[in-house]
Amino acid sequence: MKSARADGSPTTTASAASAARAVGLTKIYGQGDTAVKALDGLSVDFAVGQFSAIMGPSGSGKSTLMHCMAGLDRVTGGQTFIGDTELSHLDDKELTKLRRDEVGFIFQAYNLVPTLNALENITLPLDIAGREPDQEWLDRIIDTIGLRPRLSHRPSELSGGQQQRVAAARALASKPAIVFADEPTGNLDSKASSEVLGFLRQSVADFGQTIVMVTHDAVAAGYADRIVFLVDGQIVDEMLDPTPDRVLDKMKTLSDDR
Amino acid sequence: MLKATLKGVLAHKIRLLLTAIAVVLGVGFVAGTYVLTDTLNATFDTLFEEVTAGTDVSVRAESGFGEDTSLSSARNTVPESLVPIVAGVEGVKSADGNLAGYAQYVDKAGKAIVTGGAPTLGVSWTDVPELNPLRLRDGRAPEADGEVLMDAGTAKEHDFTVGDTVRILFEGPPSDFTVVGVAGFGAADNLAGATLAVFDRATAQRVLNKVGAFDTIDAVADESVSPLELRARVQNALPDGFEARTGAQVADEQAKQVQDALGFFSTFLLVFAGISLFVGAFMILNTFSILVAQRTRELGLLRALGASRGQVLASVVGEAAIVGVVASAAGVLLGILVAMGLKALLGGFGIDLPGGGLVVKPRTIVLSLVVGELVTLVAAIGPALKGSKLSPMAAMSGAGTEHGGSLRTRTITGTVVMVAGLAALGAGLFGDAGIALVGLGVAATFIGLALLLPLFARPLASALGRPLPPLFMVRGISAKLARQNAVRNPRRTASTAAALTIGLGLVGTVAVLAASIVESGAAIIDKALAADYIISTGQFTPTVSTDVAGRLSEQPELGAVTGLQQGEFRVQGSTKQLFGGDPDALPQLLNIEMVTGEIAALGRGEVLVEEQEAKDRNVVVGEALPVTFVRTGDKELRVGGTYERNQLLGGYTVSGATYDENFSEHLFFVVMAKATPGVAPAAARAAVDRVAQDFPNVEVRDQVEFKAEQKRQINQALGLVTVLLFLAVVIAFLGIINTLALSVFERTRELGLLRAVGMSRRQVRGMIRGESVIISVMGAIIGLVVGVLFGWALVSDFSGEGISELVIPVGQLITYVVIAGILGVFAALFPARRAARLDILQAISHE
Repeated sequence: MKSARADGSPTTTASAASAARAVGLTKIYGQGDTAVKALDGLSVDFAVGQFSAIMGPSGSGKSTLMHCMAGLDRVTGGQTFIGDTELSHLDDKELTKLRRDEVGFIFQAYNLVPTLNALENITLPLDIAGREPDQEWLDRIIDTIGLRPRLSHRPSELSGGQQQRVAAARALASKPAIVFADEPTGNLDSKASSEVLGFLRQSVADFGQTIVMVTHDAVAAGYADRIVFLVDGQIVDEMLDPTPDRVLDKMKTLSDDR
Repeated sequence: MLKATLKGVLAHKIRLLLTAIAVVLGVGFVAGTYVLTDTLNATFDTLFEEVTAGTDVSVRAESGFGEDTSLSSARNTVPESLVPIVAGVEGVKSADGNLAGYAQYVDKAGKAIVTGGAPTLGVSWTDVPELNPLRLRDGRAPEADGEVLMDAGTAKEHDFTVGDTVRILFEGPPSDFTVVGVAGFGAADNLAGATLAVFDRATAQRVLNKVGAFDTIDAVADESVSPLELRARVQNALPDGFEARTGAQVADEQAKQVQDALGFFSTFLLVFAGISLFVGAFMILNTFSILVAQRTRELGLLRALGASRGQVLASVVGEAAIVGVVASAAGVLLGILVAMGLKALLGGFGIDLPGGGLVVKPRTIVLSLVVGELVTLVAAIGPALKGSKLSPMAAMSGAGTEHGGSLRTRTITGTVVMVAGLAALGAGLFGDAGIALVGLGVAATFIGLALLLPLFARPLASALGRPLPPLFMVRGISAKLARQNAVRNPRRTASTAAALTIGLGLVGTVAVLAASIVESGAAIIDKALAADYIISTGQFTPTVSTDVAGRLSEQPELGAVTGLQQGEFRVQGSTKQLFGGDPDALPQLLNIEMVTGEIAALGRGEVLVEEQEAKDRNVVVGEALPVTFVRTGDKELRVGGTYERNQLLGGYTVSGATYDENFSEHLFFVVMAKATPGVAPAAARAAVDRVAQDFPNVEVRDQVEFKAEQKRQINQALGLVTVLLFLAVVIAFLGIINTLALSVFERTRELGLLRAVGMSRRQVRGMIRGESVIISVMGAIIGLVVGVLFGWALVSDFSGEGISELVIPVGQLITYVVIAGILGVFAALFPARRAARLDILQAISHE
């Protein structure tokens, strides 16, 4: 088992180029007696063109890991990279620009701006950047999510699954280096979930998109190429080409170990 | 539930703070007005009591108007010969005549000394100590012609000391005096800002044009008799036409006149306080609507836990009540501070108010608290009712109260209220119903408009949303989101903009009115004024010496010269203005279109009557018109002719000679002159200026300058009104800040999302700024449109009063819109900063 140790030395090396990586990443919330170590000297590497999932029990630090790697949260120690860019050196302006241009986001809920219609939500990061969308690329994404007839609808007129597919399309629209998805199916039923996950899977297969997804759902994780398992802020295991059954077994042993 | 209510207030304290400020400002205005006018009233009461303190009985001529002392015209004089008669009455210890009239000092630089509206008085010195409120500070009393005793206020401010020479202006020719003494008024330097020139008896009679006479004869009682008893005795000794009053009665009469004037002033200010509170009410309504909507879940939870509908209602109303009480109390304190400041300001203008601190009556406190509390409760009751009507489940599932329901009921109500308001306004303006109905109509129209505003809010904000934000450096996605945020809740946008609509509606009305009055005034001058030169003073009361007209008519360069006098008299029981002028010069200087009779009739002591007035009074040429003068009592004037409505003359005109016979004061409010035909304008002007030089209080203007001066005065007066309305506009902008802050709070997650997907802080700020500008400009534009309509209605109503031209000052209105936009930028500063500084992760996980 490859794993990162607390000394912060990178022990995981990806064979392919890495889209995002963390080196000796530590995140502590609070101070003194009330300090909580959410990430404990963790190192991880997410390869280009791969669909990765981060799994772990509640409180294992999986969302924190994602937030730190995506530049939404400041780290306490160690380094995080998007491509070759080290995030801890960036100020708010540079981080904002990085998120806008290099990173795509899908959140669990409330992913869309209610006043914008579906198409406007998809092109939002481009509009924020003041860039013209690549129409051909946009058409491909829209056709893949299958919501062309609903582009002029407001989020309130779309189902939960449709909303998440729009959010996924938005995450891809600016051709980001990496897409971070935080429990993207957490609020969806199984049919809607499979639509969203199917789209993510397809975008990796067809467009070579890099995706990192945080989930606690074994079925969702089953769509990934690789799963890293987190416990108490440290990576304890990983699994390649997972199936839901194997994931479930693994999760069971992880919680038994605790 | 009380605990929950209190906690509610504390939890929303920042949000309620801005709301409270609206109440504080409005209530402060109300309380300040009362404290100031009560204080002034008390001051003048004391003042008049002090002046008449030693006077037990005062003898004066009877008023032609009987007991009614409301008219400003002076009574006839009392002959000197009555002094010994009064002094001889049993019980009179001593008696002396008293005289007062126009006398204006000229300062060392040769400029006339003006007061802030207080009189410039010349009076006679009395040696009876009880009758003399003056206390010598330096020098001695005036004893001979050429000597004057000066009030300490004027002496201090203009640097006069005993031995200096001072020029004094009178009704007749000006002359120079030697300052022989300086006196204070009790402990104060002057008499409520008035300047005082004290002469010995004979000099006073001469310079005040009352030789051998006094205004009053004042008597002091010996110990044997009460003032009341002495009054009766003195009265019995007087010939017909004279009356005796006790000093206390005279003080009361004088105080009453001041009270009436202050009452008008107080009402005037209270109208603006009312407008501020009205605008504040919209802000309160809006805040509580948003708070209730945001607390839908919390209120639903309370309901689910078994709180009754009444308890939920009480919880929200209770919160409003607490805000109302606290804010009103703060408002009273603010009002007292404002009154203190204003009193200090009056002192700074040289108006030395004697004695006493501020008068804060229980009435002021109670009324201010009640008004503030009522406004808050009335504004909050709607949102509170809405909150209480939520079913527990609907509330728990988070269905907002604000979005629900169609606008139909609101539209119907709004239409009805607005139509009723416009009807009331029309009836008030064009009918006989009066000014109260106009106010009610305006208020109802604004409420109706506010109810209907959500209908226009979407299309208007969309239309404005495109061109507007780029003007304020908001572009791209920020501008788009700003536009959409502005219309996402039309009710909220509408009621936020409504406050501004009211403020700018009134400002716009004033602008249209001012421009129309100026233009109409210029038209009147063009049409009716034939004079080349207009000589006047900048004072409220007529203060152009009669000598000015006399000296001007001696100049060969000038053809026609007349002074105009104006005074109140009564015709068939109603008070009218009478004008007096030179019968020969007047027709050359004013274009008077005679309908019947001839102008020359003036020279025969006859009266000319404006045509419509003659019809109303049912008199024709040749008939005798029964009239009453304060000085000379009932008289009959023969009607010599009727003339077309003339804005420079009133309803009645007589010759200067006829005027002087019947009025005590002969000063002109204006003198007009025309060049002799063939004389170059420069030469004629030089002649006028030569004369005017000797009268430092007058200003000479030709027609162009006169028009400019009229314009300046009108704009100044209406500028003051605009400043008073500005408070309402400020409150409206506080409302915009509040709404934006609440919206930012409500949209925390959305803002977090935008930041997460790469929106910069600058872009976030731009988005909020754009929304603010759209709301501000929308409110301003609707307000100004309404203002133009109101202005048009007023101008139509006053068309009979000489406002013939409707002028819409487009440039000025556009400036107001631009200012509204800029203020919108400022209103957005705090909410935008807050929005830009949100912690992204916390925002995304915000409930």
